[in-house]
Amino acid sequence: MEKGDSTTINITSESSKERKGKAPLLAAPVMAATTNTREDGGNKRGIAIFDFVLRLCAMVAALAAAILMGTTDQTLPFFTQFFRFQASYDDLPTFTFFVIANAITSSYLVLSIPFSIVSIVRPHAVGPRLLLIIFDTVMVALTTAAAASAAAIVYLAHKGNSSANWLAICQQYNDFCQSTSGAVVASFIAVVIFVFLVVLSALALRKS
Amino acid sequence: MKGGALELGAASKGLAPKNAVNRGIAILDFILRIVAIVGTLGSAIAMGTTNQTLPFFTQFIRFRAKYTDLPSFTFFVVASSVATVYLVLSLAVSIFNVVKSDAQGSRVLLIIFDTIMLGLLTAGASAAASIVYLAHKGNTKTNWFAICQQFNSFCERISGSLIGSFAGVLVLVVLVLLSAVALSRR
Repeated sequence: MEKGDSTTINITSESSKERKGKAPLLAAPVMAATTNTREDGGNKRGIAIFDFVLRLCAMVAALAAAILMGTTDQTLPFFTQFFRFQASYDDLPTFTFFVIANAITSSYLVLSIPFSIVSIVRPHAVGPRLLLIIFDTVMVALTTAAAASAAAIVYLAHKGNSSANWLAICQQYNDFCQSTSGAVVASFIAVVIFVFLVVLSALALRKS
Repeated sequence: MKGGALELGAASKGLAPKNAVNRGIAILDFILRIVAIVGTLGSAIAMGTTNQTLPFFTQFIRFRAKYTDLPSFTFFVVASSVATVYLVLSLAVSIFNVVKSDAQGSRVLLIIFDTIMLGLLTAGASAAASIVYLAHKGNTKTNWFAICQQFNSFCERISGSLIGSFAGVLVLVVLVLLSAVALSRR
């Protein structure tokens, strides 16, 4: 009778040990999962904050490019009886396209700031990040197109081309040339920032 | 134990369609890459083989037009060639993505380099496009003469070579989108 009591006591103690052994095993993977997602959330939040800051810089760059190019207007101090020597951005259709494209880029950047803020607040949300990467890629193409075509014309204005008999107008219109060159540089800075934005969004889209 | 086995079965069922869609995306990526290779290679060759000599000449100069006469066109040929070489090299990574459908690092790598190549190719194509526009229309304010009026076949060739390059740009944008969608599927 005593032996039976002792065995029952032993059984109950073993079962309690087993229970104690099982509980930490069950708890451990759950805890690991939550710490992983918490760290990942921190990483993604950091990426989103960096994304937001870069977006502001790109907006400033694109706006500066549009304004610099849009306010070019140089009139040379000499003129003949028939026309004034005047150069402004709408004399060349490429520069008009440049101003319009950079204006579109800076307005897109202003509109995308709320999405950037949403991805800071909710680091694991996929929707805003995917939307941002899609539109950022399209904007890379648009801004590069505007910047490169204006750069080709600015290069031509600086150097001219002997084979095509195109004269280098920068020799006469100095201020106009400087403004347009500065605008092209600002636009290329915006392009580089856009490439970084796409890369950041891609890194943040990875699964944890 | 039985509960655990049921859970495993459900997880593997959920994994299969997701991997199947990712594999489909990777196959589409591969096909589009081949289309882009054809486009950019065609552009580079079409621009690189321009050479028109007009039938009249003076004692001092021959009237000849080649792509090397305009630095923008040289940059265009270089950019298109670099894009073609990159796309050929990225076919290997694309095949790896088809085989291993849940790969993430390789997709991020592809997105990074696809975006850089997008910038380069668009820059080359639009610089050439602005010069082609100038060659067609000229510009009265800057006294730049429209050379297309004399060099007809040169003009046709340079205009046509832009098409392949811009098609490559479009395909690269779609490739970045596909990689992003495949990355974000959970």
